[in-house]
Amino acid sequence: MARLTRRRVLETAAFGAAALAMPFAGGARAAAVTPKGKLTLAWHTNIAPRWLDPGQHDGSATPDNFITVLHDALIKNHKDKLYDHLALAEHFDFAEDARSATFRLRPNLRFHDGSPVTPADVKWSYEHYHGAWAAVLKEATERITIADERTIRFDFKAPFLDFPRLLGTANVCGAGWVVPAKYFEKVGADGFVAKPMGAGPYKLVNHEPGTRLDFEAFEGYYAPIHIKQLSIVSAPDAATRVAMLERGEADIVYAVPGELVPRIKNNPKVTLAPVVSGNFWLRFPGFQDPKNPFHDKRVREAVSLAIDRDAINDAECAGLGVVDGNWINDDVEYALPWPKWEHNLAKARKLLAEAGHPNGFAFDWLTPAPPYFSRGERVLSQLQAVGIRGKLQTLERGVYNKRRQTGMKEWPGINIIFEGARIGASWANWYESLFKCGGRLAGDMMCVKNLDAKFDRYTQSDKPAEREKLAAEIQREILENYYFVPVFRHAFMNAIGPRIDAKRWQDVFSTVTTGYAYPWEEIRLKA
Amino acid sequence: MTQFIIRRTFYALISLFILSVTIFAIVRLTGDPVTMLAEPGARAEDLDRLRAEWGLDRSWPVQYLTFAKNVFTGDLGKSFNYQMPVSTLYFQRLPASLQLALAATFISFIIGIPAGLISAVKVNSAWDNAGKVVALFGLAVPGFWLGLVMILIFSVWLGWLPTSGQGGILHLIMPSVALGWYFAASLLRLTRSSMLEVMRSEYIKLARLKGLPGYVVIAVHAFKNALIPVLTLAGINLVVMINAGVIIEVIFAWPGIGRLLYEGIFQRDFPLVQGVVIQAGIMIVLINLTIDILYAYIDPRIRLAK
Repeated sequence: MARLTRRRVLETAAFGAAALAMPFAGGARAAAVTPKGKLTLAWHTNIAPRWLDPGQHDGSATPDNFITVLHDALIKNHKDKLYDHLALAEHFDFAEDARSATFRLRPNLRFHDGSPVTPADVKWSYEHYHGAWAAVLKEATERITIADERTIRFDFKAPFLDFPRLLGTANVCGAGWVVPAKYFEKVGADGFVAKPMGAGPYKLVNHEPGTRLDFEAFEGYYAPIHIKQLSIVSAPDAATRVAMLERGEADIVYAVPGELVPRIKNNPKVTLAPVVSGNFWLRFPGFQDPKNPFHDKRVREAVSLAIDRDAINDAECAGLGVVDGNWINDDVEYALPWPKWEHNLAKARKLLAEAGHPNGFAFDWLTPAPPYFSRGERVLSQLQAVGIRGKLQTLERGVYNKRRQTGMKEWPGINIIFEGARIGASWANWYESLFKCGGRLAGDMMCVKNLDAKFDRYTQSDKPAEREKLAAEIQREILENYYFVPVFRHAFMNAIGPRIDAKRWQDVFSTVTTGYAYPWEEIRLKA
Repeated sequence: MTQFIIRRTFYALISLFILSVTIFAIVRLTGDPVTMLAEPGARAEDLDRLRAEWGLDRSWPVQYLTFAKNVFTGDLGKSFNYQMPVSTLYFQRLPASLQLALAATFISFIIGIPAGLISAVKVNSAWDNAGKVVALFGLAVPGFWLGLVMILIFSVWLGWLPTSGQGGILHLIMPSVALGWYFAASLLRLTRSSMLEVMRSEYIKLARLKGLPGYVVIAVHAFKNALIPVLTLAGINLVVMINAGVIIEVIFAWPGIGRLLYEGIFQRDFPLVQGVVIQAGIMIVLINLTIDILYAYIDPRIRLAK
């Protein structure tokens, strides 16, 4: 994993600037391609208008599918760039002491109505941003200065090493995405989501709230766009989405469930796109209590040994997920590589016997992340093979999240939670949200004091080498102590139709930090 | 008659009041909607800010009174999810639902009424048995399954019809059949039983004794009278289809009210769910009230009954 240093940032910026410093740069490239044809994406839920406003970004991956169509950011995750692809900014300079960041906008940038994209819009978008991580950004930012008509500088109260990653990773935060300030103020927040406008590759031409969005290529975009019209159609039923693909009514469909995967695989006209996505792991809330059977490390290890991860991957994702060792995705900063876990029932039984449970034991509930209930059933049946018996508890998503946020008082008895997540940018976002005492999705369920103390040292440090060392230590300790038992990294099953010009599905799903098909401007249709 | 209308209107208002209280309470029992609105794991102060913004920090009675007052002025509130007035969303989706429901009603008529009529006229014959099978099939086969099978056959295999979405007449065929099929079966059964009842009545026997041709007896004397309960049911069915075609609208990605309700439930969008249910309630209560008044107008025994 690449480290963030001033040198690297400057190199990146210089490379980007050099590429774009060719005569007429983006404009010339954009003009060389005439967008043609129409692409239809079948979206798997209803379409919430708030996803069209970067200011309301909820920190999940979902809004990115939409904001990457309509809007653009200063820097962003793009293909194999995790956060520092130069988008609206032609270069940026992150100070050595991590106390400031300066961005210079590309020349002649326009919003869809033809008005210029200015540093004032950047400042307004940042200051009015109220989505995920807004409080952290506002607290850390001392002032924002418009240096000239294309340059803006952010000064921080203290070294803010995570700033570029937060700003530039779309599935974490929307603060770096620029909206037209004057237009927003004129139409208001509700008016904006009804008729949003941005500086992205496509402009909105039709909005049927919840069900359909129609876009047209924006001729003023700085990079070439290959497809003229883009429609996003909500089709909540998976069988219908697959039928749309088979009939050519849709060119890309998301979220193909396991039972429909063979149908896609057996159809030579369409291509399955199993994008390896979020990680899934087991958590033992309240394991710190000596009366809890999971208090004993040997029991937690026995759980790990009882899990047949390959079988779960085969059954749930047609074997297209990844069985690795860490609970943190390997596409974020400082994620620690970890070998595959052993599956050994005899050893699991032996450990249970040593821990005083020769005949196993009963626990109350295993609660899987909604809607992956069948995965929970598989884990339960595998645990039963070594005598660990429990019942499945299915919760609706909102309730599940609320209970995780609240912490132990919402999890009476002996519980296992089968969690899943995909968080971008840095391993620290995973730890802070999911493990740290008081973490946003951890509450008081873990509270391992020495690890939290190390994490505090990590956040206070401005030395990348020290940070990397601490990150590795913390992750190793979590895994070696089985505080979390990683299961697998699932595949987000998508599919693409025959009209798309791609040698392999990765050409369409080219951004490594997401399961969605952006950058949209780079997708091509066959002639 | 006036007294009857006043009494019935009062009952209708009571029904709407009970409905409004029930739906108001039920949506709140599903949990806190701000957990769906906020970033997963948002900080407590952010959640509080959202609650205050949407008026969810006030007590239930205060929230109910505000809701009821707004309903009286035609304001159904603003959707959490869409950030738009619920009434705007409702009336944006209403034409699609109306179109689908009318087409499904048409399908249910052309299947249910002739089949019911033939079953009754040819009672205990092969025709009747075939009608019974159709009725059983219609009532037993879930619309969503029928919809998916039709998509597979007519869209994927044969390529005749589009899979989903709203468009031309071709887009309407499969969802209206899937939605209307159940109602066709219920109309078939009612037409059959209603016709059989009428056919046994004295005036039909008299008509036959007078030597009228069989088709005249059936078409002019029997069918006309047998149609009254059938049309009443069809009216209610239409309202149900407009408001409750949830699964069919989801399967066929049809942008109607049923899907709006589904999305509202899924997102814990209280104002949206309340608004759609209240609108549906008002529609059903108004239809029932109109039918009651028409019945009373036609049959004096009804309006005189206590």
